[in-house]
Amino acid sequence: MALKDILTPFTAWTNVFKPVVTIKDPFNDRPGAERYRGFHFNDTSKCIGCGSCEAICENEAIDLVPVEGIETKDGDSGLRPRVDYGRCCWCALCVDVCTTASLRLTNEYTWVTENPEDLRYTPGVDVKPWDNNELGWKKPEPNYHFFGQKRVSMPELHPEQRDKSFIEIVKGYSKEQAILEADRCVECGICIATCPAHMGIPDYIRAIREDNIEEGFKILYDTNPLPEICGRICTHKCETVCSVGNLGEALSIRWLKRYIADQVESEDYKRILQSDGIANNGKKVAVVGSGPAGLSAAHYLALMGYSVTIYEQFSQSGGMMRYGIPEYRLPYDQIDKDVNYILSLGVKIIYNTNVGKDISLSELKSKYDAVFAGTGLHLGRSTRIPGTDHKHVYQSIDLLNKITEGKEIHVAENIVVIGGGNVAMDITRSLARLQNIKYGKVSIIATSLEDENSMPADREEVVEAREEMATINPGWGPKEILIEDGNIKGLRVVKCLSIFDEEGRFNPKFDESNTNFFKADMIVESIGQGMDIEYISEDIKKDLEINNRGRIVVDELFQSGAKWLFIGGDIIQGPDVIHGIANGHKAAVGIDKYLNTNI
Amino acid sequence: MEKIKNIFNWEPDRSLYPEKDENGNLIVDLSSQKFTKVWHGPNHPGTTGNMAIELTLSGDEVVEAKTHVGYLHRGFEKLMERRLYIQCFPTCVRMCVAEPDYNEYLLARSVEELDNLEIPETAKWLRTLVLEMARLQTLLRTVPGQAGTLSLGMGVQWGVYLRDLVLDLFEELTGGRVYHMYIIPGGVRGLLPDGFKKRMEDVLLKIEDFIVRIDNLIFKNILFKKRTIGIGHIPAEWIDKYGVVGPNARAAGFKRDVRKDYPYLVYDQLDFDIATLTDSDVYARSLIRRQDLITTIDLIRQIMAKMPNDGDIKSPTPNVLHWKIPKGEVYVRSESSRGEYGFYTVSDGSEYPRRINLRGPSYTHAVVLLEKLLINANIADVHSIMVSLQTCPPEIER
Amino acid sequence: MNDIIQDITTRFSVTDIINKRENLTFVTCRKENTISLITHLRDREKFTHLVLLTAVDWIEDNLFQLTYILNNPTKKIDIAIRTMIPRDNPVMESAHRLWEQVATYQRELKEMFGIEFPDSPRLNEPFILEGWNEIPPYRRDFDTKKYSTETYFPRIGRGTNDPEEYMKSKLYPNDPTK
Repeated sequence: MALKDILTPFTAWTNVFKPVVTIKDPFNDRPGAERYRGFHFNDTSKCIGCGSCEAICENEAIDLVPVEGIETKDGDSGLRPRVDYGRCCWCALCVDVCTTASLRLTNEYTWVTENPEDLRYTPGVDVKPWDNNELGWKKPEPNYHFFGQKRVSMPELHPEQRDKSFIEIVKGYSKEQAILEADRCVECGICIATCPAHMGIPDYIRAIREDNIEEGFKILYDTNPLPEICGRICTHKCETVCSVGNLGEALSIRWLKRYIADQVESEDYKRILQSDGIANNGKKVAVVGSGPAGLSAAHYLALMGYSVTIYEQFSQSGGMMRYGIPEYRLPYDQIDKDVNYILSLGVKIIYNTNVGKDISLSELKSKYDAVFAGTGLHLGRSTRIPGTDHKHVYQSIDLLNKITEGKEIHVAENIVVIGGGNVAMDITRSLARLQNIKYGKVSIIATSLEDENSMPADREEVVEAREEMATINPGWGPKEILIEDGNIKGLRVVKCLSIFDEEGRFNPKFDESNTNFFKADMIVESIGQGMDIEYISEDIKKDLEINNRGRIVVDELFQSGAKWLFIGGDIIQGPDVIHGIANGHKAAVGIDKYLNTNI
Repeated sequence: MEKIKNIFNWEPDRSLYPEKDENGNLIVDLSSQKFTKVWHGPNHPGTTGNMAIELTLSGDEVVEAKTHVGYLHRGFEKLMERRLYIQCFPTCVRMCVAEPDYNEYLLARSVEELDNLEIPETAKWLRTLVLEMARLQTLLRTVPGQAGTLSLGMGVQWGVYLRDLVLDLFEELTGGRVYHMYIIPGGVRGLLPDGFKKRMEDVLLKIEDFIVRIDNLIFKNILFKKRTIGIGHIPAEWIDKYGVVGPNARAAGFKRDVRKDYPYLVYDQLDFDIATLTDSDVYARSLIRRQDLITTIDLIRQIMAKMPNDGDIKSPTPNVLHWKIPKGEVYVRSESSRGEYGFYTVSDGSEYPRRINLRGPSYTHAVVLLEKLLINANIADVHSIMVSLQTCPPEIER
Repeated sequence: MNDIIQDITTRFSVTDIINKRENLTFVTCRKENTISLITHLRDREKFTHLVLLTAVDWIEDNLFQLTYILNNPTKKIDIAIRTMIPRDNPVMESAHRLWEQVATYQRELKEMFGIEFPDSPRLNEPFILEGWNEIPPYRRDFDTKKYSTETYFPRIGRGTNDPEEYMKSKLYPNDPTK
């Protein structure tokens, strides 16, 4: 203890002469830092109301509420998050998890209000002074994600392994891959509304994650009796609205469905689905066509106890699924797997019987209590350009039918396919394989009115067709098939500028000066199919209502004007498998209602 | 002259009171009216946080002390049991207000260790930086705070100002001032903002200037020395017996520091030394903390110089909305400004933790150790002794 | 570390040895041996620092797990000793004679889990809770959410919508298959 110890503390007095350090006007002089976590702002035009913010909020501060002026539509629930600042702790996890990066926190942190209810508001909807503050907490960069952004890539055969055969290309996920992919799901459920069958997608994805295949399988069959088929060739509209797809890649919902179906052996179906011993209710229903709609209706009717008989014009079941889609996309044994289970429920199929020719619809009416018709679109449309009557101008659907039946078809050395849809890709890739087998090389050109970006075919179909050495040259309108000495020389085309006019009607415009010529000895037309309802005789037809676009009008239970006749599938909606399945399911409910309450 | 000197050195004869029985145990009979009961806290400016010490006094001498906690109990450990792991992280920070970052780090580390997750190098450096900044801002309050307990408030004000500057830096880096919520399982939530290093250096220089002023004001102050030297002495044999850790153990000569003994993050790549003293009184503990402050400044400078400026900040993790942690249990620890701070985490394989238990230094310091230390202390020294242990009630009751 | 584990395995028949890290090992010990194992580790193997003592409720197995984490400050290693005690009669020998702070831990465990430690000082004094009449709150069967809904009141005007249900009500309310 020295004198020094008494004196040194007094040096603190020197601070009297130092400038003050307090901020004079903190409301204006002290904005929050660039990353400050202040009040919320939500870009409501980007937000899709998936509710991930609500799910991650540990304080339950976020509610999803309907907002006036925001419509519920595919890919947008129409709900928006509302924050209760009585509970919010400003952790900004809601921002980090946001699937659209629409939610952020601004750097505003002062707000005085007399009404405590003000402190609960819908950011971005209720206008606040800080809405335009650019500063504040945003989802951090780079590589900062709360769930996987990239799809687990699907193992596939290499082009050189597949271009000479019809072996299935897609190998399917392994357990590890499926669980990894299923993990990315945020379980918002937005996809369910978009799926025509409203499948319980988040639920079966959760079952995969929990490795509970049987549970997942049951969920599939609640709404879809053809999971092996749909798991391969569904048009997966659900994936286009997947909330994860907003910033990353959408979940492979289709492949996950296939994964579940692939894991279950045929002999376990009945045990898992508990479909043994269904009591027969003594009523009989006829189904015309064993396509997806017919099979789906038959399945759900059989579960309700009806005796169902399907009339099928071909020698095998499946309709377009077997006779339209090539085997490399949908192997026939997988169709059989789904169909056999439906047959095991007591459904009978009478093959090689064309309703309208071999048996009339009226006869079905008299023999059965109700009839469901899912006859599909089997009539190929023609471009009707000069030369289409040549014998080497084919309809894609006819060729695909023959390939399925194992019949010999004409395969020329140079082929042109007209059409840009999935069927056009199917025939292009099938013919490319056959060319490869026959000539050891591929020379096939597919052309369509639509340009590269608006081709209706799935993107992966186009990519894979190119991998298999087919040429896809879109954006051309076919003008004329050049024929010399009775042999096809090729297809003359002109540049297509636009397809639809201002009113949205089909009215293509061409640049006649920009022409091209595709050399070919064989032309395949694949511009869509029409329905053939010749089998509906005039006395029945008079009860039906047909709208101005030539379609039969049915109610929401798919009951037609003739009360006993239910119609669904591609001739009503679609064309695709999943609409057919949904139609068949609803029609089954409708038939049940009709036969029990006579509506 | 001798007489005058004796007046200054007068000490009361404490041998008679309080009375002792034949075994030497105190006879504390409140009805005898020889004792006073004083509640120190829970709402007392001298306590750290909301904690009460029930004192029984004989004259001005403490004969019995009991710690009462429970004023801050919100059951965080229990609340976390029904939260997803990611949701635990805004909850766990509240278990220590002064240094929330250790909670974040330990939760993240537990999850990573249970799930065998490696984090990017940049994230490791950023985590270390944030942990050291947390220590820095606590010590800026605690070191002068020791003098504050003896009514010398000037240093506290300087400290609070400088702490605010550190909080400004926190705000820039993490978006929050007190609860930073920056370290999450898998990594951290942001890179250094532009110009951060420069601003950090400015603040560090101010703090170094502050240390000189603090030395003059506090450590070279005769009153402070008089009131702290020899007060609150923790004997060396108590260290293990009462579970004493951190600066309190280092002031008693135990060279224990989790950063050195069980290096985590990037501490093995940093060059620093652990100071020890042997006096083990309030003054020694204050000096140790002052030394810690200097070490921390040095560590932050090293981190700033060595750390990578960019790179990934977070490893890919499973979807946090249903992240299941493999079944198992783990204990992870870190060195907070108060000593060993650890999380014991048990996972039952589900998305929710089975149990998360916090081992906070104050659990032993503020209860059993403080109760022992206060015996025979003068009532005027009670909160000086308590603050010298750097007690933090929320980590006792969570 | 391995020597110590091997030694205590034979002496105290510990089981379920999990080497979590090179310096952290979990072992399970029978209830009767636990205190003597801890004493042995403290006195013979110099695990002089008690890191923590806590409990885990395994309600599905009708067990409480007590975890004692011991630290050897010289060798810088930790051993965590797990002991299972029956949940319907949760009594454990007190360890407060080994470290005085154990009494605090045991007071908390008594209060929060209802585990008895006979002879432990001030065991029945309230530690954190005041006037608590429910079951010990850290037991798994105490539902915090239910308790708070019953004890407090919700904020008027709160209410949320599930996107899936809401979209159904808006877009396909009459779907007959649902």
